[in-house]
Amino acid sequence: MTFLITCPNCGPREALEFSYGGEITRRAGPGSSSAELTGYLFFRENANGWQTEWWLHRDGCRMWFLAERHTFTNEIRRTYPPGSEPPVDAQAPEGAA
Amino acid sequence: MSGRLPARPGEAIDRGRPLTIDFEGRRAPAFEGDTVGSALAAAGVTITGRSFKYHRPRGLMCMTGACPNCLMQIDGIPNVRSCTEPVREGMRVERQNAWPSVDRDVHGVLDSFSFMMPPGFYYKVFQRPRWAWSKVEPIIRKQAGLGKVPRTEDHEPREVVNLHADVAVIGGGLAGLAAAAEAAAAGASTVLLEQRREAGGRALGSADDVDRARLVAEAEASGARILLGTAAFGVFDGPVVAAVGGGGLQRIRARHLVFATGAVEQPAVFPNNDLPGVMLSSAVELLVNRFRVLPGRRAVVLTSNQDGYRAARTLRDAGADVFVVDLRAGAGSADGLRVIPGSTILSAKGRRGVTAVSVGAPGSATGQSIPCDLVVLAGFSAPSTNLLAMTGAKLGFDDDAQAFLPVELPPDVHAVGAVAGARTVQGAIAQGRLAGLEAAAAVGQEPPGAAGRMEVLRAQAAERGDPVVLPPEVATGEGKQFACLCMDVTSKELKAAAAEGFDSMELLKRYTTVSMGPCQGKACMLSAQRLCARAAGSSFAETRPTTARPPWTPVELGALAGWRRTPRKETTIHDLHADSGATFMWAGDWRRPHHFATPEQEVEAVRHRVGVIDVSTLGKFRVKGPEAVELLERLYPNRFGDLAVGRVRYGAMLNDEGVILDDGAVCRVGDDEFFVTVTTGNTAALERWITWWLADWRLDVRVLNVTGAFAALNLAGPDSRKVMSVLTDADVSSEAVKYMSASSFEVAGVPSLVLRIGFVGELGYEIHFPSMYGEHVWRAVMEAGRPFGIVPFGLEAQRVLRLEKQHILVGQDTDAESDPFEVGLGWMVKADKPDFLGRRALEDLAEAGPKERLVGFTCDPSWLPPEGASVVHEGVWVGRVTSARRSAAARSVVGLAWVPAGWAEDDTEIEIQFGGAHAKAKVALKPFYDPEGARLRS
Repeated sequence: MTFLITCPNCGPREALEFSYGGEITRRAGPGSSSAELTGYLFFRENANGWQTEWWLHRDGCRMWFLAERHTFTNEIRRTYPPGSEPPVDAQAPEGAA
Repeated sequence: MSGRLPARPGEAIDRGRPLTIDFEGRRAPAFEGDTVGSALAAAGVTITGRSFKYHRPRGLMCMTGACPNCLMQIDGIPNVRSCTEPVREGMRVERQNAWPSVDRDVHGVLDSFSFMMPPGFYYKVFQRPRWAWSKVEPIIRKQAGLGKVPRTEDHEPREVVNLHADVAVIGGGLAGLAAAAEAAAAGASTVLLEQRREAGGRALGSADDVDRARLVAEAEASGARILLGTAAFGVFDGPVVAAVGGGGLQRIRARHLVFATGAVEQPAVFPNNDLPGVMLSSAVELLVNRFRVLPGRRAVVLTSNQDGYRAARTLRDAGADVFVVDLRAGAGSADGLRVIPGSTILSAKGRRGVTAVSVGAPGSATGQSIPCDLVVLAGFSAPSTNLLAMTGAKLGFDDDAQAFLPVELPPDVHAVGAVAGARTVQGAIAQGRLAGLEAAAAVGQEPPGAAGRMEVLRAQAAERGDPVVLPPEVATGEGKQFACLCMDVTSKELKAAAAEGFDSMELLKRYTTVSMGPCQGKACMLSAQRLCARAAGSSFAETRPTTARPPWTPVELGALAGWRRTPRKETTIHDLHADSGATFMWAGDWRRPHHFATPEQEVEAVRHRVGVIDVSTLGKFRVKGPEAVELLERLYPNRFGDLAVGRVRYGAMLNDEGVILDDGAVCRVGDDEFFVTVTTGNTAALERWITWWLADWRLDVRVLNVTGAFAALNLAGPDSRKVMSVLTDADVSSEAVKYMSASSFEVAGVPSLVLRIGFVGELGYEIHFPSMYGEHVWRAVMEAGRPFGIVPFGLEAQRVLRLEKQHILVGQDTDAESDPFEVGLGWMVKADKPDFLGRRALEDLAEAGPKERLVGFTCDPSWLPPEGASVVHEGVWVGRVTSARRSAAARSVVGLAWVPAGWAEDDTEIEIQFGGAHAKAKVALKPFYDPEGARLRS
């Protein structure tokens, strides 16, 4: 139904306050092949497990941030502003991205 | 049977406050504190409804909202459980599912035709001949369903409330009250949900109210938040408990969940076990002890434990003649009750109510007939494990309890009381207290001395009570034996279905609809499981209940839908538009004037004199920071590095597919500051888009959505400069305020940003200013423009004006595949820039060249093609019209259409078609009005 997401600014809030931005992708810029371009535009990992993805705190501070979410359980392992990836946790559960 | 018993302490009714309800046109007396069911019982109403399929008479059975027998239409709302619905003065109560009346229902003849409705009859009957189905279906549809859907719209405000707590207790019986009291007293924030309007659960009907009163007082004093009339109906991811009550949907998120959902008393299966007058002991105790109504004078109580003796004593003390039929051989009574040991009820007799039962040893063909008007089924129950199972709790069969009980709970989930197998009051209370203390301790609120108390409670909590003896199956006898009262499924039908191979609970449920009715298995799961086990030749222990799914209790759709609200935005000048008689239209969430006078008059004024339109709804962004230029260079295909301060450039944003997302003005208002406008309906999406890329690129820029902060007017027309010169002291000559410039000066005394741009194709000024001055500036503009014949214009006139200039509307003229080359915006793509959104895709698109083009067209004004009309060639669809309007300036219909790229040449003849109408049209690549743009630049 819903779950909590910890906004790096505002703390834990209902998921309904947020907009989903999809899994992180590798942008195909100038010089990339057509295969790389279509891969970036139309294909996704669609992981069953841990996934790093974009979220926007739409009804709050309007910050875009990254979240590591388990797509089956909706458990969120951590959230952080882009560019500040925390060191990979040695205790991270199996299947960590 | 009617009237009330003498008053007693602890009764629920307030005899000092009588009221009247309207029962099918008759006035029925009631007291404050009554439920509809208790008031009708006091008034002598024994038939509370007709059954779903066979239209058999049914009466009050559970009094706890667990069975389908008393569903009524109350104040127009169908399927209200009347047994728990509190009375209100003047409420209109009608019984359901009968014609002409419940007392004389002609559909009752269906009962004699049940041989035509075998299990799975939906799948078997009406297969052939196929044509017959269309004749039969309307009749079946009319027969099917319960209650009448109200024809009026529901305007009740319904909130969605999110509750957060350390501990949530589901169920306010004794165990739940004890858990909530302990957790809250220890300092944990605690919420208790109880579906009924009074806490106490099974103890509510008890003649001795001591335990209940003490625990309610303790829970109230503990500081726990007690939500009465709030029914939990599901447990979802999170976990989140969803409940209805308190005027809407409650979503409860707690660190610990304590399930004290109790058990539901179950009927026994024997011929005619559905007759009015066959009741569960909960109903009898509530009616007698709480509502002071005696439901029968000659009662037979079927039981195998103390519950039956308690009910029998209650009835005896109220003046009834009572027999106890005890399944246990050697049973007897210490206080003089007449007990028939080692026996069961073999059948019941009666037409509109029970008149006698046959009692004998299990398995015997005949028994002793005992005349009676009340049969009480006491002490058979099924734990309410459904909500618990939704958390992922595992259930296992318990021989002593003859029930599936939780054997493995997820972390931070507790089960206490009857749902956990407690069969004594003291055991249930101890389990509740223990769970409350454990949950509080787990959230860091362990009270001093808790360890010692928990030790004692653990010992008490282990107390289970006597093993359960369930009634045996009755093999023979005349009359239907109902397993499922909601859907009218009999034991015979279950056996037949099992014989056909549907021999597991999940299959039986789907095939026979057993447990699919309003009660969702509350009053039938036990019978269905045991019958299924026997029919399939397995044991009860091997026959698991069906998968638990929400909703566990009935939920009105309105509660899930929430409050019906439509967002609506108005500009700060809205009221003035309304005063001027504007006709409004929706533009996204905004209300905007469609026209004031007529669109034709407004167009004429703008083209020849001057007009003004409120464009406050435009999306506006302030982009500021050392890397502002870099951000815009990446967001747009245009170049902005060379844009001088005080200049404006038209730009379009693309996504990485090269598709146009939006267009608008980009104004450089400082070295590191820009003012950007976007399309009204796209503002929120573009804010997300821009800030998302900014987050990814991490440039040193701030982007602020200032849409609401600034109002904006577009003053346009050949006389607009004259009007501007009245409004400001600033020099507004064509040398001082050039075309495509952005200047800051005061307009009507208000600091404004004035953009000399012209969406409508005339000399014009887009004036942005703080929105609080909206009315003031609008009035000043109208005043200054009066000598020049100024008119306000609406969206329709603007659409005609822009179409005459072939200015596109993104989203109207373009779609999710339109790239800039196709719509004639290839000029803005600066392929020499290192990168921008869409650059890589545009490389391929530029190389392939457009397959389709958006072009202007003119056609004969005798027919106005609708938007979406087809462009055809030799009868084949080749394109479509996206915009078309009658143009006075062009003296024809003008429009925009998608056509094959090869046709994008002036004067190419195309054919437009819609329905039966069609017209010849000519492609025109240049604007229909002022193609060189001289008027814009003047």
